[in-house]
Amino acid sequence: MPHSTNGADSRRARHIALVILGALIVVATYLYLVVWRPTEIAHTSTGRASLIAIGGYVIGAVLLAVGSIHRLPTTTVALIPVAIALNIVVGQIVSVIGLPVYLDSIGTVLVSVLAGPAAGVVTGILTNVIWGLTLSPIALPFAVVQVVIGIFAGTAARWGMFRRVYTAPLAGLVTGVVAAMVSAPIAAFVFGGATGGGAGAIVGAFQAMGQSLLGATTLQGLLSDPVDKAITFTVVALLLIALPARFLQRFPFARAHRVFGRTGPKAAQTALAREG
Amino acid sequence: MSSTVYVDRGSPVHRLNPMTKLVAMLCVIVIVFALPVWWVSGLVLAVAIIPVAVISRCGRTLSRISATILLPILVVLFVVQGLTFPGGKTALVSWGVFTVTSEGLHFALGIGLRLVCLVLASVLLVLTTHPGDLMSALTARGMSPKFGYIISSTLQLIPAFRDRANAILLAQQARGLSVKGSPLRRIKIMMPLLGPLILGMFTDVEDRSTAMEARGFGSTARRTSLVPVPDSSVQRVSRWVMPAVSLAVIVVPFATGAL
Repeated sequence: MPHSTNGADSRRARHIALVILGALIVVATYLYLVVWRPTEIAHTSTGRASLIAIGGYVIGAVLLAVGSIHRLPTTTVALIPVAIALNIVVGQIVSVIGLPVYLDSIGTVLVSVLAGPAAGVVTGILTNVIWGLTLSPIALPFAVVQVVIGIFAGTAARWGMFRRVYTAPLAGLVTGVVAAMVSAPIAAFVFGGATGGGAGAIVGAFQAMGQSLLGATTLQGLLSDPVDKAITFTVVALLLIALPARFLQRFPFARAHRVFGRTGPKAAQTALAREG
Repeated sequence: MSSTVYVDRGSPVHRLNPMTKLVAMLCVIVIVFALPVWWVSGLVLAVAIIPVAVISRCGRTLSRISATILLPILVVLFVVQGLTFPGGKTALVSWGVFTVTSEGLHFALGIGLRLVCLVLASVLLVLTTHPGDLMSALTARGMSPKFGYIISSTLQLIPAFRDRANAILLAQQARGLSVKGSPLRRIKIMMPLLGPLILGMFTDVEDRSTAMEARGFGSTARRTSLVPVPDSSVQRVSRWVMPAVSLAVIVVPFATGAL
């Protein structure tokens, strides 16, 4: 990422340190809650697991956002509010239309693909912060899930998985599996599995089959997240085809990693044909 | 339609520095989550949150918003955990295959009261603090102004975005697009909606970023504040006292072995 100010080396080192620290805290939180699995939390509500889940994930996400935001050029910063509004408005419309998916991360994926994972991480975290400020504070603890989406979508774009419409859903499936695993401890320890009507019923069904609370929320996430993210990634890939090539080429990240592969007049023609 | 829930009642709570309210909210949440006993949450609710809500004169709005958020979650929580909690042994009531266990209800009570505190405290902060003031206060304390720009800008964009989305949906319906049908069919509706929506919103981005760059947005120099947020020495002290008290409340029970 180009940084136009001179003498910014020490500041940049500090931002990289923040990103690394944030990532370490998120990973450590996950490992503590899921892999090391404190025994007390399985059978009582008196565990400190919920504090660790909410604290570790929120602090980690905030550090990641603070470290990432300084690397963003003004074009990207101007793009992010539009992407966040897209996340929130489409997320709401989808719930009003009554679709069985969330589709609340289209903007995050779009920004990650155009401007890189750092921009996607900032978009994702701030989406949930603003969601928390305006609609429901319930979204706030899940900010870390959007971090996962931002990082994975940006990496998939770097590997060229958005050049073809059929490779995008694959990247979405993988992202969805990781997102489900990361969000499960929050759903289990902070919300007791009750994040929504349908989701709660599925968690209950898995518990009745003999799963632990964490196992039940993980399985519930694995049922819904991969499908949701596969659809989101496909929608973004289709949108990228429809957007004018001139707009797409404005982003240094997209140019440097040839995110769209074929460019120039031919791509623009295809875009026009699809639009018509 | 406004995208913030802020209501200006001019109460003493509204006049507090946003940082004071933010610190208070964080302290409440940390106490409630660190001391995982249901009566701690109840006590915090009765001693801290409800009195502040009464003083702020937003009690009715607060209960309306919180009820819409919390009711579905609490109902699902008690039903699901009451019936299927994995550690449930003591049966209270049972009909056929359904058995309500006291462990399950106890677990749901612990989680539920904690969630009530979390939601009430954060909604109260949002109700009594204008997002602009919160951003100014945080930026004055060294937060990157980019965060302030993104958050304030999004809050203004959401209503415009929603209007544009509705206009496009109506235009497509006028062309004969049906919004009814199977889920797969309804996913297809998203494309003729999203395409024009994103194209329209994104074409504004380039002009905006040029204008911002011309006004020194990318500069890393420290800014001065145009609108200073009122503060007092009492609040400055209380912002250190509140975390200290919370820490004591959390550590003492463990140190003395009471928990």
